[in-house]
Amino acid sequence: MNAHDRRSRENRSPRSGTVRLLATVLTLAAVVPAPSALAPQRASAADGDKVLTVAVAQSVDSLSPFLASRLVSTSIHRLMYEYLTNYDPKDAHPVPALATKWTPSADKLTWTYTIRSDSTWSDGRRTTAEDAAWTFNKMMTDEGAATANGSYVGNFEKVTAPSPTRLVIELKKPQATMAALDVPIVPKHIWEKVGDFSDFNNDKSFPVVGNGPFVLTDYKADSYVRLKANKNFWRGAPKFDELVFRYYKDQDAAVAALRKGEVSFVAGAPALTPAQAQSLKGVKNIRVNEAPGRRFYALAVNPGAKAANGEKFGDGHPSLLDERVRHALFTAVDRTTLIDRVFQGHAVEGEGYIPPRFSTYFWKPSASQKLAYDPAKAAQLLDQAGYRKNGDGKRVGKDGKPITYRILCHATDPNDKAVGQYLQEWWSDLGIGVQLDCLDNVSDPWLAGTYDLAFDGWSVNPDPDFVLSIHTCGALPATPKDVGATDNFICDKKYDDLYARQLAEYDPAERANIVKQMESRLYDLGYMNVMAYPNAVEAYRTDQIKSITTMPEKAGNIYGQDGYWSWWSAVPASADSSSDDSGSTGVIAGTVGGLAVVLGAVVFFVMRRRAGAEDRE
Amino acid sequence: MTAETTPPAARAPAGPRQLARQRRRASLVRFWNRYRSHRAGLLGLALLALFALAALTAPLTVGPDVASVTEAPGRPMESPSGDFPLGTDRFGRDLLGLLIWGTRVSLLIGLLAALLSVVIGALVGITAGHFRGVYDTVMMRVTDWFLVMPTLVLAIALATVMSRSLGTIVLAIGVTSWPTTARLVRAQTLAVESRPYIERAKALGGGHRHVMSRHVLPNVMPLVLAQATLIISSSILAEATLAFLGLGDPTVVSWGGLLQEAREAGAVSSGDWWYLVPPGIAIAVVALAFTLCGRAVESVLNPRLGVAR
Amino acid sequence: MTADAVSASVVESGGAALAAPPDRGPRRNRAAYLRYGAGKLGGAVVSLLAVLVTSFFLFRLIPGDPVKTMTGGRQVSAAQLASYRREFGLDLPLWQQFTDYCGKALTGDLGTSYQFRAPVIDKITEALPNTLLLTVTSFVLYTALGIFLGTRAAWRNGGPGDRLNTGLALALYSIPSFWLGLLLIIVFSVGVGPVPGLFPTGGMESGGETGFAYVLDVAHHLVLPVVTLVAVEYGQTLLVTRSALLDEMGGDYLTTARAKGLRDDLVRRRHAVPNAMLPTMTLIFVNLGRTVAGVILVETVFSWPGLGGLFYQALSVPDLPLVQGLFFVFAAAVIVMNTLADLLYPLLDPRVGR
Repeated sequence: MNAHDRRSRENRSPRSGTVRLLATVLTLAAVVPAPSALAPQRASAADGDKVLTVAVAQSVDSLSPFLASRLVSTSIHRLMYEYLTNYDPKDAHPVPALATKWTPSADKLTWTYTIRSDSTWSDGRRTTAEDAAWTFNKMMTDEGAATANGSYVGNFEKVTAPSPTRLVIELKKPQATMAALDVPIVPKHIWEKVGDFSDFNNDKSFPVVGNGPFVLTDYKADSYVRLKANKNFWRGAPKFDELVFRYYKDQDAAVAALRKGEVSFVAGAPALTPAQAQSLKGVKNIRVNEAPGRRFYALAVNPGAKAANGEKFGDGHPSLLDERVRHALFTAVDRTTLIDRVFQGHAVEGEGYIPPRFSTYFWKPSASQKLAYDPAKAAQLLDQAGYRKNGDGKRVGKDGKPITYRILCHATDPNDKAVGQYLQEWWSDLGIGVQLDCLDNVSDPWLAGTYDLAFDGWSVNPDPDFVLSIHTCGALPATPKDVGATDNFICDKKYDDLYARQLAEYDPAERANIVKQMESRLYDLGYMNVMAYPNAVEAYRTDQIKSITTMPEKAGNIYGQDGYWSWWSAVPASADSSSDDSGSTGVIAGTVGGLAVVLGAVVFFVMRRRAGAEDRE
Repeated sequence: MTAETTPPAARAPAGPRQLARQRRRASLVRFWNRYRSHRAGLLGLALLALFALAALTAPLTVGPDVASVTEAPGRPMESPSGDFPLGTDRFGRDLLGLLIWGTRVSLLIGLLAALLSVVIGALVGITAGHFRGVYDTVMMRVTDWFLVMPTLVLAIALATVMSRSLGTIVLAIGVTSWPTTARLVRAQTLAVESRPYIERAKALGGGHRHVMSRHVLPNVMPLVLAQATLIISSSILAEATLAFLGLGDPTVVSWGGLLQEAREAGAVSSGDWWYLVPPGIAIAVVALAFTLCGRAVESVLNPRLGVAR
Repeated sequence: MTADAVSASVVESGGAALAAPPDRGPRRNRAAYLRYGAGKLGGAVVSLLAVLVTSFFLFRLIPGDPVKTMTGGRQVSAAQLASYRREFGLDLPLWQQFTDYCGKALTGDLGTSYQFRAPVIDKITEALPNTLLLTVTSFVLYTALGIFLGTRAAWRNGGPGDRLNTGLALALYSIPSFWLGLLLIIVFSVGVGPVPGLFPTGGMESGGETGFAYVLDVAHHLVLPVVTLVAVEYGQTLLVTRSALLDEMGGDYLTTARAKGLRDDLVRRRHAVPNAMLPTMTLIFVNLGRTVAGVILVETVFSWPGLGGLFYQALSVPDLPLVQGLFFVFAAAVIVMNTLADLLYPLLDPRVGR
């Protein structure tokens, strides 16, 4: 604008001049941030309530305990509803929760639970054995209600509640896992009004009636989940007044939010990256919590997918049916390098199937049994198996074609892609080609058996029954058209016998012994090669959380525990820190300023145009 | 455009081939002389030459080993130092080397996708303009339909449907970005075909093929060229976008792939700018260079567009 | 910056092709305009139907059995799978699924999401306002900024101001939007050196705020995503405005107007600008439609709970009903906006005697 322009405009339309002035003032207001904006924001509401904010990334699939299967949803259900039992934070042995006592009958087929009388629903009604019986019966009779946890009641014959404090479960076969029924017990008087369990998501009316340490008060998809402390919780009220799960789809954004104090806790999905952990270490008021993980990270081999009726399907590479080939491949995987480079020390080298964190069941191969890294030996094994190199240095299969294995990888998991590149280079030295098939959703080729190898990993529960069961022949799909519980179609007679023995064994020590034999067998088979146990790496603000229970109590993790210990036990830092709201006010003032500028500019522009229009002859 | 198509003044007796060659050379020289006057265009061209040089000499300067994870020379995520001017990536590979190596893939995908897009566009445009009638109506309906498709959404969908490879990315970009070219080429074809000499060619027994390839194609070529330059620019951005969304081939080093890796490794919150900034700048500079060239070419062909001189 | 952000110059030259100005005829009288409008509306309806068809068949190409995916990991018998297929109508022949889908779609029912077990229309209406908030805010700002700077650049055609303006626009236009977003997060959310982290790192609200505090909170979250979108998008509007204006400024009537003794800026404002607004108008509408889909990336970077994130989640399952529904919404946005542009074009053309 030159002077001439400005003068003529102001003469005509004084209003636009005012607007311009206003805009200038507002610009200045926005450019100079309020000093209080420099202070870290506090994750708290204005009324002085102590709020614990947790950054999460995973979307809630459903808030109905009958449908939810994602970790975030089941973790929230732990907080909303009490289960029959819980796990001790020290060593994860079952401890009383809604049930105070549980005993099997002499024939091992009837379990009697004593239900506590001091647990009440948040609408004031008492929780009784009838609620539990109704929950289990619903799952046994309504297919929709069995969607998420149906497997727990598969072996149930009958569930009754002879008195408000007595629950009786009759089984078809003995089952050692009856103290580990991870099923949220819901209030019968609320849920019996639900018509169709297959599409009721429990997210329409708040607060949701429950009896856990927190009560769900609000939920907005992919924005937040809010829970209020249940002051009447039988184990004692939580120390924080409110618990908020706030969504950060991007892990970097979550970490940045932690740095600023927008959130109190970041778990990472599934862990903070080495770079993030590194950058947070030594930051004032932030503590990085690293714990042995409950997951194993493995390379699964397609053993020739087949159904329980013997029908084969899928197209796994035939050479992988040779145990020597499987051992050769794994022998050529340098797990130390993977720990050092990919995980940068935030993982433990893989051994047996169950992570060392579960010391009762942890097993590792003896020196002679171990498939240690040895490329020369790997080459030798392949030669022995008859897969020799051709003129181009590529090993050829029995069909005369060079071998290229397809590895199924999760496109959303950076570790899969990184490890895949290492495998590609290590195995190409062996003369074997690798094609990395990274997909957002691997379940289709996975279920169809159309892969050679695949990255695999499971979170292991304190009771290992589930992760063991997925490698039994019984888990195979009935026909190729069905979907089985099987992980990667392993079916081994010896393993199955051991599995049946441990399930019926009520003596813990003997059961652990059998489980270890199963792990040994699995190791030798070479269909499930554990490369690493990734650590849980998470971080929280010490100026917001004074203390929090980890699980196991010594060097354990916080997010995704078996139980509600972490959030229930968390103690807020000093009172003043959680009621300081000025930081966000300052920032907000800045924002308002900024938006006002923009608005001013728009108005200014429009006025100019209008001024022009008025003058049009 | 008229300058190129004016029948040349008969000078020395020469065969029609030679005549055509002379005429083309002359128009090329004229084109270059006008292009030269666009400083921004020259800047773009210089930048492109620089990147092309980097891409072509990459096997000599950095070599394919730079992408090897097992041979990575440094520790993961090192900050810039004498050994690694741009630091190292999550595997400990030299980021400067990867950036140079990535030029190859990013340029290649940009060029191939643009080629595919322009070929489809030119083919549809020329045939629609030449044959007209029902075929024209149908083709233009299809073009319009592609025009309203949200391109990114369509490309994401295509990349999801197919396997993750460079070919998929090229196809996804090429198949979704051709409609504008088709419309422009069709309009140009209609204009060319209304000229008298086409009538003459037809009367002399020139078939469809002859008319389209001998007369229409050379005349729409400059337009197609300008379009191609501009589409390369958006193709490179699109490649980066798809790779960033995790739809690229993870074993291939490209700029978008590097950004995606940086983000996955947590470079944003750790403030590891050296992992994040250079690939983004490279993408922006190459895209800008192609845009500058494209605009210059366009304004040479159609000075009324009023592109900055 | 995406594949759909067609290069500025492409639109400059192709803008006419996107929404060709109607032939002179329709402008003359109301009946002709109505005929023209009816034709455009008819075309839009045909396009919408075509999109409906595409959205149905395109995503059936995604490999994978949605029912198996849905129940992934759980033991499910063939009978149960079959019952799921029945529940979602996947057991019917494809053509019948298609007619069912179309029939329901016409009544506004887009089916039930596999993964959320909620009506697709609910999931979309839940996320749509968030996307619109982001889109419309950025749209208004980048359009205003683009027109404003474009006009200025044209005034000073060839001068240093123009060069700087156009150069900056082109440079910003070449930057990948997601990258710019990440950098803004580093600088203005995390904070670098003396720059404090002024803005939230992602999301749309902190939760728990009400009333005016809530509005402020959302506005606070809105700043960085909007800045990102405005920065990468305004260039196109600027370039189109500028070149349209330059075209107009060469017009004879301006010389005439000047000869009548009108001041320079008056001439521009009363004559050149309104006329030059035409091609810009076209672009503006096309942009608004496209931004709805183009916002996917920015939503991803800033964890904005909008349609983009939903689409991405849906695609990975694949949650066919949700994917189809979203695709339809994205394409419909473009079609509706294009049609609006077509309908308004003759009305806005100042050359029509009023």
